[in-house]
Amino acid sequence: MIQVSQLKKQYKEAVVLDIPQLEITKGECFGLVGNNGAGKTTLFRIMLDLVRTTAGQVTFQGEDVSKTESWKSQAGAYLDEQMLLAFLTPDEYFETLRKIYGLSEADLQLHLSKFAELFNEEVLGKKKYIRDLSKGNLKKVGIAAAMLGHPQVVFLDEPFENLDPSSQIRLKKLILSELETSKITFLISSHDLNHVTDLCDRIVLLEKGKVIRDLRDKSEMLNELETYFVG
Amino acid sequence: MFFTLIRLQYLKSIRSTSFAKSALATGFLVFISLLLLSYVFFAGLFLGRIIDQFAEGKEPISFLNSLLIYFFLGEFMYRYFIQKLPVVDLESLLHLPIGKKKIVSVLLLRSFLSPLNLIALLLFLPFGVEAVQEEYGVLGLISWLGTLLGISWSLHWFMLWFKQRFEDSLLGLGLVFVIVLLSGGSTYLGWFDVGALVAPFFTAATQSVLSAVGALGLLLTLFIICYRYYVSHAYLEELGEEKSYQVSDQSFGLFSRFGVAGELANLEWKLIIRHKKSRTYLMLSAFFLLYGLIFYTNPAYQTESGISPIYIFVGVFITGIFMIQYGQLFLSWNSSNFDFFLMQKGGLEALVRAKYLLFLGVSGVCFLASVPYVYFGWDILLVHVATFLFNCGILVHVILYVALWKPKPMDLSKGAMFNYEGVGAAQFLIIIPLMAGPYLVYLPFSYLINDYAGLLALGVTGLTGILAFGPLSRLVTQRLLANRFEISSSFRQEL
Repeated sequence: MIQVSQLKKQYKEAVVLDIPQLEITKGECFGLVGNNGAGKTTLFRIMLDLVRTTAGQVTFQGEDVSKTESWKSQAGAYLDEQMLLAFLTPDEYFETLRKIYGLSEADLQLHLSKFAELFNEEVLGKKKYIRDLSKGNLKKVGIAAAMLGHPQVVFLDEPFENLDPSSQIRLKKLILSELETSKITFLISSHDLNHVTDLCDRIVLLEKGKVIRDLRDKSEMLNELETYFVG
Repeated sequence: MFFTLIRLQYLKSIRSTSFAKSALATGFLVFISLLLLSYVFFAGLFLGRIIDQFAEGKEPISFLNSLLIYFFLGEFMYRYFIQKLPVVDLESLLHLPIGKKKIVSVLLLRSFLSPLNLIALLLFLPFGVEAVQEEYGVLGLISWLGTLLGISWSLHWFMLWFKQRFEDSLLGLGLVFVIVLLSGGSTYLGWFDVGALVAPFFTAATQSVLSAVGALGLLLTLFIICYRYYVSHAYLEELGEEKSYQVSDQSFGLFSRFGVAGELANLEWKLIIRHKKSRTYLMLSAFFLLYGLIFYTNPAYQTESGISPIYIFVGVFITGIFMIQYGQLFLSWNSSNFDFFLMQKGGLEALVRAKYLLFLGVSGVCFLASVPYVYFGWDILLVHVATFLFNCGILVHVILYVALWKPKPMDLSKGAMFNYEGVGAAQFLIIIPLMAGPYLVYLPFSYLINDYAGLLALGVTGLTGILAFGPLSRLVTQRLLANRFEISSSFRQEL
């Protein structure tokens, strides 16, 4: 589904990302872990064509992401607050997205109803701009927006950060049920090893821009990661 | 889709925080821009008569045509400083399935809706109707005005491209400065006259539509260049108002002699150097040093004996511009890290002392830099000494004290031109003591005895203030300490 080849990102002399080959298959839950500065967010940004590569390419279902834009309707993402339209209320934001994605109102309602539990009645129907929401609620809006419009792939950067424990568990349940029912491919970066190993059947470990582990054995994952991070 | 994007742009502008939270400043801004535009329009209405006054006997149209190149050079300059780049919304739209081309079109379209693009129209339409139409008919008017607007609007697109492309280099601007100086200077010295060289092009515009077609072709070409550039650079790291600067160590060794306050003054200096808004303020201070050239050379203010009262005002400005401009936003500069000072032991006291140190230091530098004005007479040096003392002894306290009245947070990485973030009622009120204060001291003595007595009074008042620095600065510190929780909570609100 997503193929990375000979990818390199360089700022002046410093190479921040160097990935010769990486393939993500359909329906996979792909976890990305690594310490600060390992290049997780940069990799996501490059995959989404938000940042230019220095060399190499990313293809999405065979199309080079920097050459076409048709893939954008099949990829949802929430990497940071900048991706939201902070001057709208959450309701207005979803309504705007509905128009952009060409969904019916019933579609949107159905989609948002899946998030009712996660939103915990704090997001919808409030007269509050997105810029005034708490960090946790911002995250919830962003995640709901990323999954809107029946995407085939969803990119989430640190989805559990800033969420309270019950929201974290609700989000995990939500992602698991989406994985099962709609076969969405998830790409999730996280520092929370427990959550990410619970969710993902494949975890890639980045260090200084390089892939140093590609773990597929679910039973061994957590142990291997813990050994690495404990150091 | 297009309409959705346009509606978003509209919502964004009416919901921008500065609009919602500071109706006063926004109203003021709208008022000022309307006022300026109406000035332009009136200037346009009277352009014919103005030309008659200045160039008696010359043919008004060809005279204006020979000056047009300077208008466009000037337009280039003000566009360079004022025109904003329409890229801020990129991050929130790029990942959506909209298409870069559509996003860029809407952003560019929105950037075009600017008062700057009305100036040429307002200024030249009345004259065109009055004079050009009279002589060359409607077609002549359309062609002439079309040429002017074509060039003016070409500059709009050119600037969007130019500023983005040569963002950090002053090279481009330097080049234009040189061209302006050279063309002005050469005309003045009689080498060659750029205006006259270019005039035939504009004269031709009155007679054939070719010039207008050419200008519109230029407009279209520049739009396409700009559009292509923005589409192909629609990446997070590439389009932006400001790229990150190289971190370098710039501190004043002198300040470090003053203990903690000195350290904080150095900190503040780094804050100034490393943010866009504050850098502009600093540049303005340097610029205002030249203010005297306007007044001291003006024969209207030359008096047989004594000193023109206006000089007091000029002196206050020249020696104190930094504390006036920068100081009136006192704590707003630190709005994003105010809690840092709140947390330190004695941090707020040190912050206030650091600000004093910085203001007095920069004022001193401005005073020294203004000494060459002595060329226009010893009196001017005396004025500067007196106003400098008054600034350091009295005005600095007044400014800081008034500025403590409900300070507002602001974002330092935005530009300073027409940016009224952080400006509240206090910043308008501050003007009153600033203007009246020096005259309250100066005028009575100047009338009763003579102008030099007035200056002496100013100086002595200033010196008294300097001697009473301790108690006066304590007033400011006390007020800050009393209001610190309110200030901190207002700073913590989102911008």
